[in-house]
Amino acid sequence: MDTLIIDGLSFALPLFIMSIGGIYSERSGITNLAIEGLQGFGAFFGALSVVLLSHFFNIPIQKLFYLALLLSMVGGMIFSLLHGLLSIKFKANQVISGVVINILAMAVTVFLTTQINNMVFGAMSDKFQIGTSQRFTIPLLSKIPILGAIFKNIYPFEIVIVFMAIFAYYVFYKTRFGLRLRACGDNPHSVDAAGVEVSKVQFKAVMISGALSGLGGISFAYSISTNFSPAIYMGYGYLAIAALIFGNWEILPTFGACLLFGFARAGGYYMGQLLKLPSTFSDLIMTLPYVLTLLLLIFFSKTNRAPRALGEIYDKGKR
Amino acid sequence: MSEYIVEMRNITKRFPGIVANDDITIQIKKGEIYALLGENGAGKSTLMSMLFGMYEPDEGEIWIRGEKVNIDSPNFATKLNIGMVHQHFKLVENYTIAENIILGIEPIKKYLGLFSHVDLKGATENIARLSRKYGLEVDPSKKIEDINVSMQQRVEILKMLYREAEILIFDEPTAVLTPQEIDFLLEIIEELKRGGKTIILITHKLEEIKRIAHRCAILRKGQLVDVLDVKNTATREMANLMVGREVSFKTEKKGACFQDVVLEVRNLSIKNNDDFDVVKDVSFKVHGGEVFAIAGVSGNGQVEIADAIAGLTDIFQGEVLLNGKDISNYSIRKRTVEGISYIPEDRQTYGLILDFSLAENLALKEYYKEPFNHNGLLNRNVINEYGEGLIHKYDIRSSQGIKTQVRQMSGGNQQKAIIGREIELKSSLMIFVQPTRGLDIGAIENIQRMIIEERDKGKAILLISLELDEIMNIADTIGVIYNGEIQKIASADALTTNEVGEFMMGVTA
Repeated sequence: MDTLIIDGLSFALPLFIMSIGGIYSERSGITNLAIEGLQGFGAFFGALSVVLLSHFFNIPIQKLFYLALLLSMVGGMIFSLLHGLLSIKFKANQVISGVVINILAMAVTVFLTTQINNMVFGAMSDKFQIGTSQRFTIPLLSKIPILGAIFKNIYPFEIVIVFMAIFAYYVFYKTRFGLRLRACGDNPHSVDAAGVEVSKVQFKAVMISGALSGLGGISFAYSISTNFSPAIYMGYGYLAIAALIFGNWEILPTFGACLLFGFARAGGYYMGQLLKLPSTFSDLIMTLPYVLTLLLLIFFSKTNRAPRALGEIYDKGKR
Repeated sequence: MSEYIVEMRNITKRFPGIVANDDITIQIKKGEIYALLGENGAGKSTLMSMLFGMYEPDEGEIWIRGEKVNIDSPNFATKLNIGMVHQHFKLVENYTIAENIILGIEPIKKYLGLFSHVDLKGATENIARLSRKYGLEVDPSKKIEDINVSMQQRVEILKMLYREAEILIFDEPTAVLTPQEIDFLLEIIEELKRGGKTIILITHKLEEIKRIAHRCAILRKGQLVDVLDVKNTATREMANLMVGREVSFKTEKKGACFQDVVLEVRNLSIKNNDDFDVVKDVSFKVHGGEVFAIAGVSGNGQVEIADAIAGLTDIFQGEVLLNGKDISNYSIRKRTVEGISYIPEDRQTYGLILDFSLAENLALKEYYKEPFNHNGLLNRNVINEYGEGLIHKYDIRSSQGIKTQVRQMSGGNQQKAIIGREIELKSSLMIFVQPTRGLDIGAIENIQRMIIEERDKGKAILLISLELDEIMNIADTIGVIYNGEIQKIASADALTTNEVGEFMMGVTA
């Protein structure tokens, strides 16, 4: 039971922060299928930075953990500028832009990882070793029966994500920026008429989405493996999109969806071990979250309502 | 300080292919209700859009309170205390009334003096106070999607007042309202005037101008025709100036000459989605050369009858015969081929594809036939030539001819395009549902004349209208519907307006 909660949370939280990013972008009216690519590129950028810093300045790589998180957010944000530029500035189709970014991110990061490994470290590898992230347990709280597991074996990034999520929630629902952002996704004309520049709001939203995706990506890199490798493109970005859709583009319900995915995944592992299945079958069990996605789609897609102006290219003249 | 609060001097604005405003000068005094009258597409909205900073004039100057200004954005217009209620409301549907009103100028408070947040509670109180002050009762915590159009309009007005607008522009404010709501709105506008506001009213409805405006500028095809004192001008004179010719309020028509029965509806019953009987056992006949009008208050089943005949709604019981053939189970296309033309109530949703070109829309019911379609490929040349022909024949005006995106056209011309397309089908039955809704006098007159012309060619016409005047004007036979049942069918000559009105209310004499 403990492992279920521990593993479930360590998967659900990175997924959740990526979903929040997606919510920001989509509620501002910009379809964001690029989360997969953004999390990959963000993680790449963060991993590359700390690997290089550690190599050239001889710093133990474990000490650069928080820097890696920060730089991954910067990396995701930088890459998201591309999506903003294409879909907001040049009014390109947002779905195509998103897909292009995903393909591009994968190609570029895999290529660069091998090249840099070869050039700097003289090794033939498509991975950056970023070291393990030290887990910790909160005393007392972890002694609570069952729920105490929440406070056991926590990755530090989980704490960062929780604080980021709370802050993101506050900005989204309580501040002036959040109010304008959510209005853009429903009726950008009303925002324009109120004297607020729609494209600026949308650009910021996409950048936030990039940063949060980067944070999610590096967290996966730390938790699932101890390195950055092409294995990061496992489709978790798409799962984040599925989660936000089930969450009806609202932050709290999306958290529920992410928890569900997290526990489904952890439960799948658990079952695999329990049944002592050969490793070939465990791959099958890994599909559990996606099968769940399909099932949920059937039930939720009727009642859910996307932001009204989602994916629409904002054109001032159109009525 | 000048006598005028707003002066627009020698304003010219060109769009590709069209001069929307040609050297227009208007001067508006503080505290007056100034009307801009003109047909659809005369340039009224364009002129006001420039005053509100949505466009900039190509030539000319704008002076506000005696100072020359360059209004380059709605933001700046707002700073000059100019507000505008657009024809298409600009509201966020999943936001509350309060959130919509404060959008862009949100009041801010701080938690613990640190975390700033939007002060929704304070705003809600302010808005409630404001709405009471001007008699515009609203519940600020309600969502836009849950309130009706008239209420949404109040929100737009409150939006301006919240921004302390002094010069209020209303763009066709009554187009979407019921008669009672119109009365209420006009009272509000007068109330605002008494409160010292200056009001500019864009409209093509003469009665409204007559009721509340002081002065009225008449625009026609982008030019200023005249500025009149409303009190000393007859409605007819304003109408003539607006249209540019003598307007007849009564459509001239010869006596009808009935031919064979074209449409026969027998014991028709229709259920709606909630399994509720909206049409109950309705029977009537329409002959060639006859205008059969169904009169009734909105929502009494008349539109469902039209939809059932055209094939848009399922028939529960009864049958529909066209030229003696039972078409009750035919598909829509088969009915069209058999000879039904349909001019729907909602022309933008059912009548046209707004993002398609005019030529494509004109071929919408024939594109699959030779020569429009040859071996499965559309023949653009044929479609374009056909479009050109119809544009010429039915005088459909647009900025770029066949290439015009239909969305950009005025309502009157959109309707002309639909009617032209449907007439060209040469069907034996034409169904018109609310053909003149939202159109100006010139266009109404035009369309009513077209209907009569088709009747004189021997077509059977089924007209469904909420405008009693229109029905009395052009119908040969009137069927009055109330609560899904036909109350009375009689020759139009045998009924007075009052009698029809009584049947419409279900008063059975």
